[in-house]
Amino acid sequence: MGYEWRFDVLEGNLEFLLGGLGLTIGLSVLSMIGSLILGLLLGIARLSPWRGMQFVTTIYSDFLRGTPLLVQLLWIYYSLPILTGVVFSPIASAAIALTFNLSAFVSEIFRAGIQSIGRGQREAALALGMTGWQTMTRVILPQAVRRVIPPLGSVWVSLFKDTALVSVIAVPELMYRGKVLSIETYRPVEIYTVVALIYFFVTFPQARAVDWLFERARVRS
Amino acid sequence: MAGSAQGQRRGILGAISEVFQYWPFLLSGVVLTVQVSLIAMICGMAIGMVVALIRIAHVPIANGVASLYVDFFRATPVLAQLIWIYYALPIITGRSLTAFVAGSIGLSLYAGSFLSEIFRAGILSVERGQSEAALALGMSRSQAMRRVILPQAVTRMLPPIGSSLITLVKDSALLSIISVPELMRQSETLASLTFRRMEVLTVAAFLYFALTYPLSRGVDYLHCRFAPES
Repeated sequence: MGYEWRFDVLEGNLEFLLGGLGLTIGLSVLSMIGSLILGLLLGIARLSPWRGMQFVTTIYSDFLRGTPLLVQLLWIYYSLPILTGVVFSPIASAAIALTFNLSAFVSEIFRAGIQSIGRGQREAALALGMTGWQTMTRVILPQAVRRVIPPLGSVWVSLFKDTALVSVIAVPELMYRGKVLSIETYRPVEIYTVVALIYFFVTFPQARAVDWLFERARVRS
Repeated sequence: MAGSAQGQRRGILGAISEVFQYWPFLLSGVVLTVQVSLIAMICGMAIGMVVALIRIAHVPIANGVASLYVDFFRATPVLAQLIWIYYALPIITGRSLTAFVAGSIGLSLYAGSFLSEIFRAGILSVERGQSEAALALGMSRSQAMRRVILPQAVTRMLPPIGSSLITLVKDSALLSIISVPELMRQSETLASLTFRRMEVLTVAAFLYFALTYPLSRGVDYLHCRFAPES
């Protein structure tokens, strides 16, 4: 009784898997940058005095955070070509879906971060004659940036793991290559174990680093 | 122009009503989604509580195992975990698993890992003075935990526990990939049947939202009630 583990199936195939890891990292970086920009704009917009703007961004944020990423991903992959007439590659659809999904979480983080800066800062800036935009860029945001870094680190780690989902639309990142290999070599046990271990060894240090960021922020306050 | 726009609108509405014809089919998926999420939540809380207590008490070997469990399940994608449990585990143990059981096990283990962190943080956030006072009054450690610490910790843990349930409902969609007939899977099947993928996915999205939105409102309420920002 007992299963015979044969990791020799990895010879020559490990490179293939690690290539997938490269795509995972690239996709994560791209989506993170996109969602940071979009999320920042949305976070600020959410705080605008216009009711309409608040309403729209709230709905956007609630909906994207309240529905599964998988649904959003498939929706974008299958529906965007119908709606816009442009066919997106799987990678592009994946990047778009991840960016939009993440931007909802990032916008909440920025919103909370901005709101945590005392009103006095904004009032003082306005009293000094700054415009609203100047207040935001020169006074509020620089202070908020420090506070949002730990939660954003957390979002980054989640993003990294969420990229595994895009394997369902055949983006050749790590998870997808694992599936392909396990079918080719008929050894799902060793292949999937190695895939899980690769994710673990790459993600774990980052998760620890984020824990450290939270600890540092906690100690400071 | 107005005529063609109206024609398009009737097309979309017609498509969505066509999807609603299959209401019971989607509903069976919703039922399974709810079932799986609740199972994972309950099992996850049981696992999480045990693991949290082991880690707090620093039980010699179990502590290492518990920490490894938590770190591993938090640092790997849920999808990788589910696929491993469904495809690799049966080969190793020689026992086959139905997709539902595999999915439930996977989600429960995943839930257990972050719930244990929530429990651990909640328990540790109760001031030391409380446990010291309880012990000084002659209570045993387990009595102190049961009667003094846990009741105070529970209220702090309620909001994050609520958030966990929302996360589980969303992650249950991944079970479609290992063919569990929950909402996402039913939607996929329906989409192939009707060739109306966009409409079906839209309806599915709204169904998920209908499940998670009340929960997130509930979590907001719990936040206000039990963990207000000072």
